[in-house]
Amino acid sequence: MSGRIQRLPSAHPTVALLARAAAILLALLTAGVILAANGADPLKLVAQVVKSTFGSRFGLEDVGLLVTPLILTGLSVAVGLRIGAWNIGAEGQFYAGAFAATGVALFVPAPDFVLLPLAFVAGGLGGMAWILVPTLARAYADVSELITTLLLNFVAVLLVYYVSTGPWLDPDGHALATTARLPCELPEFWGAVHWGFPLAVLLTVLVAAGLSFTRWGYEVRVSGSNPQAARYAGMPFRRHLILVMLLSGAIAGIAGMFEVVGTVHRLQGGISNNFGYLGIMVAVLARGSALGVLAGAALMGIILNSGIILQTQGLNVSTVLAITGLILFFTAIGDELSHYRFVRNETASV
Amino acid sequence: MHGFSETGRSFETGRAKVAPGTPPIVYLKGIAKYFPGVIANQDVDIEVMPGEIHALLGENGAGKSTLMNILTGIYQPDAGEIIIDGYAKIFASPVDAIAAGIGMVHQHFKLVKAFSVAENIHLGWAETPKRISAQALEARTAELAAALNLAVRPEARVGDLSTGEQQRVEILRVLARNARVLILDEPTAVLTPAEARELFRALREFVSRGNAVIFISHKLDEVLEISDRITVLRGGRRVTTEATADCNQAMLANLMVGHEIVLSDLRARKAEAAPISAEPVLSLREVTVRDDFGNVALNKVSLDIHAGEILGIAGVAGNGQKELSEVLTGMKKPLSGKILVDGRDFSAAGGAEIARSGIGHIPEDRLKSGLAPALSITDNTVIREYKKPPVSIGSWFRPGAATALAQSIAAAAAVTVPDFSMPVRNLSGGNQQRLVARREMRIATKVLIAAYPSRGLDVGAINTMMRYFVELRDQGVGVILISEELEELLNLSDRIAVMFHGEIMGVLDTAESAIEDIGLMMGGRPAGALAQTSREITS
Repeated sequence: MSGRIQRLPSAHPTVALLARAAAILLALLTAGVILAANGADPLKLVAQVVKSTFGSRFGLEDVGLLVTPLILTGLSVAVGLRIGAWNIGAEGQFYAGAFAATGVALFVPAPDFVLLPLAFVAGGLGGMAWILVPTLARAYADVSELITTLLLNFVAVLLVYYVSTGPWLDPDGHALATTARLPCELPEFWGAVHWGFPLAVLLTVLVAAGLSFTRWGYEVRVSGSNPQAARYAGMPFRRHLILVMLLSGAIAGIAGMFEVVGTVHRLQGGISNNFGYLGIMVAVLARGSALGVLAGAALMGIILNSGIILQTQGLNVSTVLAITGLILFFTAIGDELSHYRFVRNETASV
Repeated sequence: MHGFSETGRSFETGRAKVAPGTPPIVYLKGIAKYFPGVIANQDVDIEVMPGEIHALLGENGAGKSTLMNILTGIYQPDAGEIIIDGYAKIFASPVDAIAAGIGMVHQHFKLVKAFSVAENIHLGWAETPKRISAQALEARTAELAAALNLAVRPEARVGDLSTGEQQRVEILRVLARNARVLILDEPTAVLTPAEARELFRALREFVSRGNAVIFISHKLDEVLEISDRITVLRGGRRVTTEATADCNQAMLANLMVGHEIVLSDLRARKAEAAPISAEPVLSLREVTVRDDFGNVALNKVSLDIHAGEILGIAGVAGNGQKELSEVLTGMKKPLSGKILVDGRDFSAAGGAEIARSGIGHIPEDRLKSGLAPALSITDNTVIREYKKPPVSIGSWFRPGAATALAQSIAAAAAVTVPDFSMPVRNLSGGNQQRLVARREMRIATKVLIAAYPSRGLDVGAINTMMRYFVELRDQGVGVILISEELEELLNLSDRIAVMFHGEIMGVLDTAESAIEDIGLMMGGRPAGALAQTSREITS
């Protein structure tokens, strides 16, 4: 039997979905084999993970807490991709948003119902401020946002380290390297899961609807897909680019605000937990679709939670990072392979 | 006038004498190739004799490319045999085909622009010495070029060469690997008439040494001029093979599309057609434009287009036509000068505003600027009307209404679309162009600017395009037709403006102009200097 491989210009959606599922399974299988080679019992570990994650309310609450920031950072990156911009700086914008929200919460004397919306706005503005320079540099000087957003992450990390161990250090000295506990907090929605979770889902649905059902969304789609075509149709490409990049920054900033006001309650170094970088992965898993972000974030949240459980079983933190890396790696291969199909030759040419 | 078939015979003398009983250099016997749901080739028999230039004619999708991919080892046939010099061969890969002396020059050159000519010639060639200095490489190239009688500059960077020169490098690259059968895909699409003549001379010389050329083209006149025999493919099958001397344009066109088509006489108007307006509907006044690199691309160009006329823009590509279409459609702002629509100043207007004033634009490169290739067919077809009801109501975009509009545009364009959410890049070039044309015609209530609308299309699709333009003209719309096909311009336009180095060399009345005069003006001679005929210039 002979045949050959043919490449299609675009993959069939079903095939693409199957390739994704196969990729995730293969990644987990690879991880399992490596764990087994290191003397662990992968089946026992899987059983433990499934039981601890889905078998108890606490497990599900933990996943919910992890998923909330992932939805928003994933949405941030996915929105940027819609206009053709790679926002690698969701991490930095997350810190900037957390920083701004903390500032408002600590220093504005106001009741909760004023303070919380104020902190929300501050978080968004903080994220926006952090992406402002990369945005303008891209829009007016065509400087790659990939580099600028990435580099600003390190500035944000250091800024938060500085204020949380310096000027804003907890005056009562309960903790060594954090600010005081914030006077306000997001009310709880379901167990430990705060209202940030439904708000993040709502924001995602709103953004997805805005992109699909508004003229603005259509123009963004065309501008992001082919700026030349946008110029041809007379769409204001630069205005859309600036607006969408700022929106992307704001969403990541809101993720930081939710995290500090809803989950951690104190600003501290390392508060982002790499959520900003993991957002890139969520967006890639979502294939740039705003609603797909929800599924991508859920998967990422489960993996992160599994990591925490695996650590209680004596496994290293890096194991989890390696598993997420494997998933991304296999997904990229799967995406490419789903463009191919095998065509059999009806009559072999001899 | 399509009298080119007469000239075809005069070349007969240049043919190598083939002794009786000589096997064909290439014999494709009963070739078939199937793709899922598609018969790409079936029962194709073609003999190519030594010393012959064999033309392969057919519409897009007629199976020319598949057949040539089989002959060059890219595809393997599902049935049939490839017989070279009387011996059956199996080409498992392009390497085998090259070893058997079969080489192809593709329509889009496969050269490395940053490399020198010598480096490109020697790239991926087993005979290239492992260690060799740039000078020695260039000397080898010069030797090859001299032996094969193709003038190239071995040390020049390919990116700096004109398209004609790049094509010569491609041909040299193939011939250096001892090709005896040279396959050329649309070789003249990128050449000036002078470069094309030079190419034809080189091809004649090549076959006179007992080699063969397979010449793929859409241009009937040049096929009649250059080839010895013509094979017409349609729907993957061979329709006929004829001696060129027995063919004429009308007959070939009919064979290709399978039905009668009208090639000329498009300038004649119906009685009820709208008259040409007295006042221009769109004017340029001393417009100067710089290109993306800051060079002056249009130099004080003044031009009038009236409602109900077709104004042709002739010229070798790259003489300011791109900038002309961009400045007319608001994609580029003029440095100085004015653009007037119905006498109102639109010099500062953007693309959307110009489009709203009733000016449509079929851009030069549809995939680069007219379409967003990765987006759906729906998104691409509504790009001109998404701001208006029913597609948008207020600031709401309605995907359902957008698909309905896309369906009606596709129906008008006679394009069958199985799935409107499919990326537009999955459509064939001809169908993409039909959709773009219909989309633009809907908004072109005053003027349609069509830049190279027939580029890369087959006869049937070109004919459809031309019909569209005539339809618009008769409705009283002005059409600016930018083209490098003089015949197309002569058939269609009422007046022809000739561009050279960013200037209009003159505007001629088509009825009174000869193709030779336009050719001279394309080469830079102003209309006034055409001594032999003192002609009135309408400008």
